[in-house]
Amino acid sequence: MTPIEAATVPGPAPVAPQQDTPPRVQTLPIRFTGSGSEYFRIWIVNLLLTLVTFSLYWPFARARRIAYFQNNTLVGDDPLGFHGDPWKMFRGYIVVMVLAIAYGALSETVPAVAAVLLLLFALVWPALWRASLQFRLRNTSWRGVRMAFVGDLKGAYGALLPFFVPALVLVLFLPDVASDEKPSPEASRRVLWVLGAVAVYTLAVLPWCFARLKRYQHGSYLFAGERTELRAGNGRFYGLLARVIGLLLLVVALVIGVVALIAYSGGPGARMLGFFAAIGVMYLLMPLIVVPYATVALQNLVWANTRTRHTRFRSELRFGTLFRLTLVNWLLIVCTLGLYWPFAQVRTARARLECMALQVKGDVDSWMARAQVRQGGVLGDAAGDFFGIDVGL
Amino acid sequence: MPRGAPLLTRWYDGTSPRAHAVFVRLDGDTLVIEPREPGLAPQLYPLRGVRWPERRTHGQRQTELPDGGLLQHADAREWDAWWANQSIGESFVVGWQQSWRGVLVALLTTVAVLGLTWVWGVPWASARIAQHVPPALEARIGRESMEQLERVFFQPSALPAAQQQALQARWQAMVQRAHAAGEAPPHTLAFRASPRLGPNALALPGGQIVVTDELVRLLHDQPDVLMGVLGHELGHVQHRDGMDMLVRSTFISALVGVVFGDMGGFVAAVPAALLTQSYSRDAERRADQRAAELLHANGVPPAVMATLFERLRARHQAGEDEALPIAIASHPADAERVRFFREWAANPSR
Repeated sequence: MTPIEAATVPGPAPVAPQQDTPPRVQTLPIRFTGSGSEYFRIWIVNLLLTLVTFSLYWPFARARRIAYFQNNTLVGDDPLGFHGDPWKMFRGYIVVMVLAIAYGALSETVPAVAAVLLLLFALVWPALWRASLQFRLRNTSWRGVRMAFVGDLKGAYGALLPFFVPALVLVLFLPDVASDEKPSPEASRRVLWVLGAVAVYTLAVLPWCFARLKRYQHGSYLFAGERTELRAGNGRFYGLLARVIGLLLLVVALVIGVVALIAYSGGPGARMLGFFAAIGVMYLLMPLIVVPYATVALQNLVWANTRTRHTRFRSELRFGTLFRLTLVNWLLIVCTLGLYWPFAQVRTARARLECMALQVKGDVDSWMARAQVRQGGVLGDAAGDFFGIDVGL
Repeated sequence: MPRGAPLLTRWYDGTSPRAHAVFVRLDGDTLVIEPREPGLAPQLYPLRGVRWPERRTHGQRQTELPDGGLLQHADAREWDAWWANQSIGESFVVGWQQSWRGVLVALLTTVAVLGLTWVWGVPWASARIAQHVPPALEARIGRESMEQLERVFFQPSALPAAQQQALQARWQAMVQRAHAAGEAPPHTLAFRASPRLGPNALALPGGQIVVTDELVRLLHDQPDVLMGVLGHELGHVQHRDGMDMLVRSTFISALVGVVFGDMGGFVAAVPAALLTQSYSRDAERRADQRAAELLHANGVPPAVMATLFERLRARHQAGEDEALPIAIASHPADAERVRFFREWAANPSR
C-alpha cells in the first residue's frame, strides 16, 4: 500500500468514526458550475491573443481553458484544480511545432526521410501519449491532492501498438497497383485479400484492442492511494461496436432509400442531385446521430465500470439528451456564425458531467496520498494535444 | 479590510484530502497560514512562490502553495473582496476577460484581424511563399498531381498526331507573338482524353497545361477560342495559381482550426471550402484577363470566347453532365465572364 508521509501532517491523527458499523456509502454528485457567458469572454480573448501572436499564445489559452473547466467541475462540494504551468506547456508546444514544420518541409522535399520520420513517430507515439496522460493527471487535483497516471510504458505500447497493425499491413502487403496502367488480375486479387484481412481484423480484433486500451487507461489513474480499475469485459466492447455499426447501417439504408426515391421520381438531372443530397445528408446525420450515440455508449460503459477500492463512478448519460443538445448547438453555432461555440462547449460539458456521480465507501478524509510522482514530460502533453489526444472527460 | 487582515478559509496540505480550517493573512512578503486546530504549526510561504487564483464570476478560488498545498475558498465574492485589499497585481488578461466592454473590443478586433488576414494577409503570404517555392519542388508537386490525375481522370489522347502537332505549333506561335520579349512563363502542353472531366483544361503547379480531347472536339472549328482557353491556363501558370491555391488552402485550414479548435468535421470544413472557393474566383478573373490579352496581341477579338460558354451551356442543357462539374464549379458566373470578354476591347486597362 501507499507509504504514509506522517511527518508533514503534525497534529492529531484523523478520527476514525467507524468501529463496528459498516462504512457508510455516500454519493458525491458531480456538478459543473461554468457559464457560457463567462467562457465566451475567456474564449474570445484567448482567440484574439492566439491570432495576433501567430498561435504562440495557444498553450496559455489552453491552460486557462482547462483550468476553467476543471475549476468548475465539482465532485461533492470540492472543485478539481488544474496546476499545469503554461510556460512549460509553451516549451513543449514550441518543440512540437518545430518538429511538425520540419516534418512537413521534409515530406515535401525528401520523401524517403519523411517516411522514416513517420515510422519513428509511430514508434514513440505510445510513450508520448502516456506522457501526456501523466502530465494531465499530475496537474489535476481534488481537495489539494494531486492525481497521478501510473500506467507503465510497456502497458502503453501493449495498448496502442495493435492499432498500428492495419496501417502496417496496408503499407507492407498492398501491391503498388497505382503506378500500373492496368492492374493484373493477380494484383487485384491480392488487393482484395489484403483489404478483406484488414476489414476482418478491424471488426474482429479492434474492439478487443480498444477494451485493452481503455482498461489500461482507466486502470492507471491514482488518487491518494486509490487506483482505478475498469471492470468491463471484452464482450461489452464488441456489443458496443455492433450497436454503433447497426445504427450506422440503419442511417445509410435510410438515406439510400430516400435518395432512390428522389432519383426515380425525377428526371435525368435528379440522379446527380440525389447523389450530392445523399452525401450532404450523410455528412449531417453521422455527427448528429451516430457520433453522439457512440459517445454516450462509450462514456457510460467506461465510467460506470470504473472503480477503486473505496469508490465507484456512476454515469447515466442518455442519447436523447446529447442528441437534442448537439442539434441545438449546431443550429445556434450556424445562426451566430460561430459565436455560440463557447456556449455549446459549456453546455456539452455540463450534460456530460452532471449525469455522473462518485460513490464513496467510508471517509475520504482518511485517505493518504502517495509521494509525489516525479516531474517532467511536458513534451508529451504538447504532442498529445497537438494531435488531438486528450484524457477526454 | 486592510492589507494584513486575516481571512478564515480552508487549507489542504497536499498529502491528505482532509480540509483544515485556517486563517490566512499577508505579512510583508510572506503568506501566513494559521490553522485553527490546536497543535498545528503556522505555515509561512514567500509570496513569490504562491500562485493566486484568477478572478472569475463562477467557481471557487484555489491558491497553489509552493509545497503542493492548496487554499480553497468556496465563497468567491468573499475571497475577491479580501484579495482586492492585498494589493497584489493580476494579469491584464484576467481584467480583460472580466470586462464586457473589453470583451466587445476583443470581439471586434478579432473580426478585424480575421478580415484583414483574409483580404490581405493570406493572399500576400501565399503569393510570397508560392513565388519562393523552389522550381524543382513545384515541378515535383506538379508531377505528383499529374500522376494522380492520370490514375483517376485521364486516358491517353485519341486525337490524331497531326492535329496535336498543329495545335502545339499554333499555340507556340501565338505565345511568341503575345510575349515578343520572350517573357512567357515556362510551360508544357499535353492532350489527354477524359470522359469523366468532359471539355476541360487544367494548369498544374510547375507549368503543366492539360487539355482534354473533349474540349478540342467541342471547339474543333474555333481554334482561336481553344487558344483563348490555353491563354487562360497560361495565366494560371504565370501567377503560379496552382501553388498559390495549395498554400492558401493550407493557411485557411490552419486559420479555421485556430478559430474553431476541435469543432472539427462539418462545421470547420464548410467555411474552409467556401473561403477557398471565393479566392479561386479572383484567380479565374485574372486568368481571363491574360487570355484576353493573348488573343488581342494576336489580332483576335476576345469576344470570340463567348462561343465557349454558349457551347458548354448547350451541352449542359442537353443533359450531358460530367461526373464532376469541375469545369464550372469555381468559375464566376458565365454571364459575367461572357460580358468581360465582349467588353474587353472597350476597356483594355482592366
